Amino acid sequence: MLRVVVRAFCAAGDLPRGPDAPPAARIVVRMATFSEDLRGRSDDELVALLLRRPDLASPSPSTLSSLAARATSRASLERALGSVDAVVLQVVEAVVALHDDAAPVTADRVAQAVAVRSDADRELVDAALDRAVGLLLVRLDDQPASGSTAGRGLLAAPGLAELLGPYPAGLPPAGTVSGGPAPAGRTPGGTSTPSGPLVLDDVLAEAPPGARQVLDALTWGPPVGLLPAVRTPARDAVQWLLTHGLLSPGDARHVLLPRDVALALRSGRTHAQIHRPPATASDVRHPLELVAGESAMAAQRTVRLVATLVRTWEIDPAPVLRTGGLGVRELRKLAAQLETDETDTAFVVELAGAAGLVADDREEVPTFAPTLAVDEWLAAELSVRWALLARTWLTTTRTAWMVGSRDDRGTVRAALDPELTRPWAPRLRASVLGVLADGGPGAALTATQVSEQLAWRTPRALPPAAAVAATLREAGFLGAVAAGALSAAGRALLPDLRPLDEIAATAVIGDGRRGRSAASSAARADAHPDADDVAQALRAGLADAVDEIMLQGDLTGVVPGRPSPELEALIERAARVESRGGALTVRFTPESVRAALDAGTTADELLADLAAHSRGAVPQPLDYLVRDAARRHGRLRAGAASSYVRAEDPALLAGLVEDPRLAALGLVRLAPTVLAAQVSTRELLAALRERGLAPVAEGPDGQIVHAERVIRRVTRRPRRGLVTPPDDASHSTVARAARIAALVPELRRAELAQQADREAQLADREAHRIAAQTRADEADAAATAARAARLGVADEDGAGSSTTSLDQDTPAGGSARTVGAGSGGGVGHRGGARRTTPGTSGGTADPVAALGLLREAVEDRTDVWLELVDAHGVPQRRRVRPLRLEAGRLRALDPARDSELTVAVHRIASVARVEPEPLDPDRGDA
Amino acid sequence: MTDGPLIVQSDKTLLLEVDHDQAEACRRAIAPFAELERAPEHVHTYRLTPLGLWNARAAGHDAELVVSVLLEYSRYPVPHALLIDIAETMSRYGRLQLVQDPVHGLVLHALDRAVLMEVMRSKRSAGLLGARLDDTDVIVHPSERGHLKQVLLKLGWPAEDLAGYVDGEAHAISLDTAGTSNPGKDGAPRPWDLRPYQNQAIEGFWHGGSGVIVLPCGAGKTLVGAGAMARSQTTTLILVTNTVSARQWRDELLKRTSLTDDEIGEYSGARKEVRPVTIATYQVMTTKRKGVYTHLELLDARDWGLVIYDEVHLLPAPIFRMTADLQARRRLGLTATLVREDGREDEVFSLIGPKRFDAPWKDIEAQGYIAPADCVEVRLTMPERDRMIYATAEPEDRYRLAATAPGKNHVVEQLVAKHEGEPTLVIGQYIDQLEELAAHLGADLITGSTTVPERQRLYDAFRTGEITKLVVSKVANFSIDLPEASVAIQVSGSFGSRQEEAQRLGRLLRPKGDGRTAHFYAVVARDTVDQDFAAHRQRFLAEQGYAYTIVDAEDLVTD
Repeated sequence: MLRVVVRAFCAAGDLPRGPDAPPAARIVVRMATFSEDLRGRSDDELVALLLRRPDLASPSPSTLSSLAARATSRASLERALGSVDAVVLQVVEAVVALHDDAAPVTADRVAQAVAVRSDADRELVDAALDRAVGLLLVRLDDQPASGSTAGRGLLAAPGLAELLGPYPAGLPPAGTVSGGPAPAGRTPGGTSTPSGPLVLDDVLAEAPPGARQVLDALTWGPPVGLLPAVRTPARDAVQWLLTHGLLSPGDARHVLLPRDVALALRSGRTHAQIHRPPATASDVRHPLELVAGESAMAAQRTVRLVATLVRTWEIDPAPVLRTGGLGVRELRKLAAQLETDETDTAFVVELAGAAGLVADDREEVPTFAPTLAVDEWLAAELSVRWALLARTWLTTTRTAWMVGSRDDRGTVRAALDPELTRPWAPRLRASVLGVLADGGPGAALTATQVSEQLAWRTPRALPPAAAVAATLREAGFLGAVAAGALSAAGRALLPDLRPLDEIAATAVIGDGRRGRSAASSAARADAHPDADDVAQALRAGLADAVDEIMLQGDLTGVVPGRPSPELEALIERAARVESRGGALTVRFTPESVRAALDAGTTADELLADLAAHSRGAVPQPLDYLVRDAARRHGRLRAGAASSYVRAEDPALLAGLVEDPRLAALGLVRLAPTVLAAQVSTRELLAALRERGLAPVAEGPDGQIVHAERVIRRVTRRPRRGLVTPPDDASHSTVARAARIAALVPELRRAELAQQADREAQLADREAHRIAAQTRADEADAAATAARAARLGVADEDGAGSSTTSLDQDTPAGGSARTVGAGSGGGVGHRGGARRTTPGTSGGTADPVAALGLLREAVEDRTDVWLELVDAHGVPQRRRVRPLRLEAGRLRALDPARDSELTVAVHRIASVARVEPEPLDPDRGDA
Repeated sequence: MTDGPLIVQSDKTLLLEVDHDQAEACRRAIAPFAELERAPEHVHTYRLTPLGLWNARAAGHDAELVVSVLLEYSRYPVPHALLIDIAETMSRYGRLQLVQDPVHGLVLHALDRAVLMEVMRSKRSAGLLGARLDDTDVIVHPSERGHLKQVLLKLGWPAEDLAGYVDGEAHAISLDTAGTSNPGKDGAPRPWDLRPYQNQAIEGFWHGGSGVIVLPCGAGKTLVGAGAMARSQTTTLILVTNTVSARQWRDELLKRTSLTDDEIGEYSGARKEVRPVTIATYQVMTTKRKGVYTHLELLDARDWGLVIYDEVHLLPAPIFRMTADLQARRRLGLTATLVREDGREDEVFSLIGPKRFDAPWKDIEAQGYIAPADCVEVRLTMPERDRMIYATAEPEDRYRLAATAPGKNHVVEQLVAKHEGEPTLVIGQYIDQLEELAAHLGADLITGSTTVPERQRLYDAFRTGEITKLVVSKVANFSIDLPEASVAIQVSGSFGSRQEEAQRLGRLLRPKGDGRTAHFYAVVARDTVDQDFAAHRQRFLAEQGYAYTIVDAEDLVTD
């Protein structure tokens, strides 16, 4: 683009070049920069990229250049590397390691470098390369000379080399050549001939003992070695190797294995062997009915425990700790009540919290209590209830397995602590379930086997083994995994887990492609397409509910299966559960029956209920038990009273209860000689005195007391900090895909707009320059004219032309002020520091984009204009060539002074690319 | 998963639905490894215990069989963890063996060295093991054989006892099925035969070597003992609870076997006869004089081939354990109620041997071998004054106050009047209450202070029908055979003892001549500890299917 503009101006006319115009520059053949590569991709590819690297899309970037800059930032690259499997990682390492100036890194070279042995391996490598290119970790060089893709060079993304460390794949970077005489057969410069190791063997034949070991030690590992102590045979060996050029000296204490020697020792490979995916075979395969049955039992149990938790806290909410969690003693009490151990109880509590069923009530004295959502949940069917819990578990960031462990400060982590979240938890669960799913139906895997698989799938982002084991345990408790294998209900959770780009690919970019059934459901506008599927999957594994109970003469009852909700409610009310499993064994005790009566049921109702659900008649002992309990129920009455009045003589109290004047006291006759009142003692005494009686107050021991005045005081209480309950994790995969798909055209438009702005500005600058040039010429002409005039005739035109030139100045100046808006990319600027005014210097002030530009410049070895701010706040502008950018520091070469400088990144105010010199109009176009 | 009769619960209980068509087949299939815990009317509860599984292993069944039986009959999926647990438990059996070495005597041989090390390191096995022979063998003190087996059970590594039994001195005994020893009134022999379940019990015992047979009261345990003796054909020592019981055994053996009077000896407080078949009481065996067990030498007096323990549920009481040291000989335990309030039933298994035969009471009743029985609890409201006294009494006095509530006497009279003419027993704990009752009813009283001949006379009179009412204390709890007794009224007992309740019911369970139902009444004072204890006592019988009907004392009049 830029070249076109310049050319146009140059061809527009024979403009004399001013005295200070720079000399014609040679056209530099530049390799396409990273950002241009990005711009060159198709819309589909960009959408796919953004879906695969979601961190690039949120928050949405404004232009493609800022996207490019973000894509080369360290965090984003780290994340991208964390999502690739071992083969892709090896391939990327190979591309970085093999990078040198001699020859481009082709796919064939990469395949050779990772020691491909078969066609299957080659396919792996090709697929890995495709994926790396798709993720923008590697890009294809667009050398015009070569034709086929296979021959095109591969370049790593800027910034990737820093991430992979100073010695990617254990090789020293290109440029470290062995010193000393080159033995026959070895070419200095890095490439190794196939006869490399053999030739080395000849050389080493004369080596002292230990030389071979030294070389072997450094071959595959980091190529830096520590110099052994002086006067040891090892030291002699190292010395010999140094003199023969097989090792090169590093600093005072280290030696370095040169690149070509390393490659020779490795026979040209970067990795010993390709990291093939581990076999997913598992030794244990369970029959599907077993898995379904176990899963159903676990699901029932989990739902029951959550319901019990809710009911317990309904009546007796648990207090919240000052730090916001649930205390250890409370947890233990709860564990005893739920009859599980503390780890499982913590999981149940966290699950209920994450599902929004219990929350901190944020009162003065905060407690955990059930929320309004609970009633709806409790009324739902078992499978629906479980589906909510399961989907919550899958997507929540809370990490229940950490409860009970100690954090850095040594305090025990409490359940429902607000800080117990980890953003990678959902991803971990998804990947663990994914591994189990890939094992096949009924395949049972242990935690170590799953970890092994994950180590291949995301080697750079390996979850801790304890987390994997804990996830499997939680999944087993929940019922998604049963007996170590993924159950049908757990599998139903998985459609949520497909990679986002696949969902988008089949739903958004539909165009006639036959979608899978899950995709067609994704295409529906439902918010949660999978809620029904999960519940359905669990229902398939549940046995039918049973509505009858067999009552027996020893006061026990047996429900031969899973009780229906009404029967379950009846049992919960009136009996004690003794045994659980496929059936339910309960026992009716006097206490359990009394509890039913306390709740308000009458004996007749209870017996009628039992008879309705019983297979035979209600046994007489049970009938008698219920009636006997009813007889004893309510023989004691308890009530509240604020004060009482008693007298020895009932006659004194006669008439007080019925007296309408004392109605406000709320008198109740408890016994002939005792009345209770609902007002305080003082008021009661006053009312009775008013009535004409002569009461006295008495203390609890019966002694007469004389009331004292009570003086009121009030304390101020601080408000407690608010703790927000964890948010619902709700995301719609379809909406996300749509949003990202809509984003890409926006990026393009913004990029074009920016380009247009830049061109316009350049045009303005050119116009300004030409205008200035014209002015200069005219000024010369005027000067000569003036001289002529002085010598001869005075000319009015000269003054006029000078005025005209001044007039001409303003429009150009005015237009020069309209600079492209926003944080756009570098604005082109001609050489010549004098021309600039700081406000319109252009360049990019956005730090991310600046770093992106710097990285590109490092790759392309071009110069940039760097505006620095020194310690006193004084800005200065220098033209430098960046060498390395890492760890927040930029090393650059100042060509003018031929010195290196190191600049802290935070001192860089703006960066602008140095445009190449405009074409010499005499030369024609390039 | 089929529509089977069995439901396997996660807490290792098995629920067997009795009305299912496959119930009988299932019961037979699970009997080798599951223990019957409860047998009420609809659903029987079995339990899988380590001991039961190990016994199954000892009998030759392996884990695959157990698992396949469970899977075949289970209605719902069997919990996976349970199956793994069963396999794991059963695999622990037999890693240690007790063998008889010709040179060293009794030796503990280990098939798994780690297990042997664990056992030897444990504190509990200190003093039981002798010298270490090599990596896998250790000498065992012969006298500690039983104790060691108990300890190994507790450690979870049961030993397979291959050390064999001492055969004992041979002695010819046979069952007199022709009936010549027990002729009828006209002198003609009355042939008889063992009942099917008795044969099964004997078989089960003999096949297992040693063990316990549990049969309801009145089902003929004495005959099972006799059958075992006939099978063993050796000298036999029989241990019983009291002298009366000893005499009963003697009579039964004379009637049913080929043994003559000279061959049976009684070794009790009164007599000290050591004969090929000797019947001794627990009491006399464990009397100490000047710190020495004077009668313990009876154990060594003859080379006993079989030792029979009657009412073996009494055995774990420490005083009785001493007789369990006869580990090298075949041991047979007989009881109706293997429940103890101190929970030490398991000790019986380790001291004598595992349960070789068990039958639900109702099953035997259904076959007609024991009388059907009707259990009723009569609840009596105490008058107010008594309730006040009860409420303010000390805790230790409460039971006595409740149990001896005056109102009970009236109730007893009503009940006796209701069953006038039927042989009735009134059973209680407190002597003064019983004396009062005896006086009210005009009945004879038997207590601990009654002499043995007097007791015998009264029992005989009751048996023949001369007297129809007897007031007895707990001396009559077990073993006393009163065939025609058909009504028992219990006014008080030993707190919450289930075993006592069952034994007392057992007095009534002999099949009656006219097949009438037996009635068992428990008179209980309402809203007192008496009622609470009663609820507990009745549990065993309720679980056997004898549900108690509860009746208010006031309603008795209208019946």
